[in-house]
Amino acid sequence: MSIRTTITIIIFVLSGLAWVTVANKPTPISFKVPAGWPQPLYDFKKNPLTKEGFELGRKLFYDEKLSKDSSVSCASCHQQFGGFATYDHNLSHGFNNTLTTRNAPALQNLAWQKEFMWDGGVTHLDLQPLAPLTAVNEMGETLENVLKKLNRDTAYKRMFKAAFGTNIITTEKMTKAISQFVLMLVSSDSKYDKVKRGAASFLPNEKMGEAVFEQKCMHCHPPPLFTDNSYRNTGLLVDTTLNDMGRMRITRNSLDSLKFKVPSLRNVAITAPYGHDGRFFSLQNVYENYRNKMQVSATTDSLLQHKIPLTNIETSQLTSFLRTLTDTSFLKNPAYAPPGYEITPFFIRYN
Amino acid sequence: MIGAITVAMTLMAFMHTPFKRQEVTVLQFSHRVGNKPLQLFDEVYTNRFNEPFTVTKFRYYISPISITNAEHRKIILPHRYYLINEADSSSKRIELPYKGTIEAITLLLGVDSLQNVNGVHSGSLDPVNGMYWTWNSGYVFAKLEGQSDSSHAPAHGFTWDVGGFRKKENALRLIQLELPPSAANTITIKADLLAWFDAVHPLRITQSPICHQPGALATQLADNYSAMFSIAP
Repeated sequence: MSIRTTITIIIFVLSGLAWVTVANKPTPISFKVPAGWPQPLYDFKKNPLTKEGFELGRKLFYDEKLSKDSSVSCASCHQQFGGFATYDHNLSHGFNNTLTTRNAPALQNLAWQKEFMWDGGVTHLDLQPLAPLTAVNEMGETLENVLKKLNRDTAYKRMFKAAFGTNIITTEKMTKAISQFVLMLVSSDSKYDKVKRGAASFLPNEKMGEAVFEQKCMHCHPPPLFTDNSYRNTGLLVDTTLNDMGRMRITRNSLDSLKFKVPSLRNVAITAPYGHDGRFFSLQNVYENYRNKMQVSATTDSLLQHKIPLTNIETSQLTSFLRTLTDTSFLKNPAYAPPGYEITPFFIRYN
Repeated sequence: MIGAITVAMTLMAFMHTPFKRQEVTVLQFSHRVGNKPLQLFDEVYTNRFNEPFTVTKFRYYISPISITNAEHRKIILPHRYYLINEADSSSKRIELPYKGTIEAITLLLGVDSLQNVNGVHSGSLDPVNGMYWTWNSGYVFAKLEGQSDSSHAPAHGFTWDVGGFRKKENALRLIQLELPPSAANTITIKADLLAWFDAVHPLRITQSPICHQPGALATQLADNYSAMFSIAP
């Protein structure tokens, strides 16, 4: 065989290899930090965002197959139209008529959170899905079975290959994909944000509400994230059927008794019910607690030792202001809807 | 064409030439209960408090840290976590990339704090191995589970799952084992499960059949089981 033929064969083989390599490279997504926001806490270097990883995470997020009896998905309790909290449920519903002990938190701006759950028990975003997947009163499945189901599914095999270059599905790859989807759930385009950018202006009532907010709420709910991510005891009486001691369950430190994470107020107007156990069904219930019903004791947060005085007029102004934190472009972003849909279709099951 | 095939085959043959195998020392773990070999499920053992018990699960994380050679020099080993699992005999054999006389060996029992909080890992640290607390992030460092007539817990179970990486609750333990002079290829490390009950703190199944979180009981169990190892003669 001539040298020429050999070279031709080698070039042919190499170009083929090059094509395969190029075709397998996932498309990177750049994570945009909204102007004036702090740097995210999530380490994107360890899990670079890609279009393929995001789409895979989205499929996993909406897939009921991940639960023991294929009845609930992540999205069952984290509904896009409800700010990725659960519309109307005080406590989250698990598979097989089970009930959890807490209200599903809204998912947004997770790249700026270091600890997760109402008690901060989960210390990394990638670790978070493990809890609901395996809890007997949530999705009730074992990780082993979840991985088995995924590894048997050719569509998933293909998507993992596209996102991570391997179709061997592991806990690490699965949770990284879910993180990629939820990290992109950035809510930063509410009326409030537009006003701050100079692209809109507050109505008089909203403006007055902002003044009330700055005086009475902002210390624990500072913008732009509207939470300081601390744990605080807000004087809520223990529900004797739940006996939820909050942060103390994690730290086993009695000083942390009844402390719960300060939730973000972004999209707050549409994420009722409120509180770690969803005991408040409206913003009015929350105001009533802070100005009247809360039980002040020695362990109640120092900022709440005198409760929060609020007049009726102030509460209505506050509501007007909090409504400006509703981000409709986030709530209706087709990229966050179930794969193949523009919005969550009516037949998606929420039990 | 024949030329191209020859080239390809030569290349493949070259690629398949086995590289010189690295010289290794094998650590073989042997699990015992007193003077009996550990047998999962069937065998009933008795601890010092006369409590009968069976064992259904026995697993722990180990990471060889360093060895001291014949010249009393410490050689740091590549950091790797092994999950030793009684139910999987192949897991009880690990290879250290070193050959020669070993005077002492240092092992880390558990998983260091960083690995507990920086995301999801693969291999032996994959949470699918059932050694991870999902609701309060952290690895279970060691597990001894079984049944006992002395247990008042549901189904007479006793489940000792030990972990904890936070200050005051640290269940991580360093173990130093001295070796008799020998250049043997295989070192057998014996682990006696009876140490879990009484090596440092007397812990009775009757009193504490369940340990499912970091804290005082977990650290006491860690004190106890860190004394379970010895070198088999």
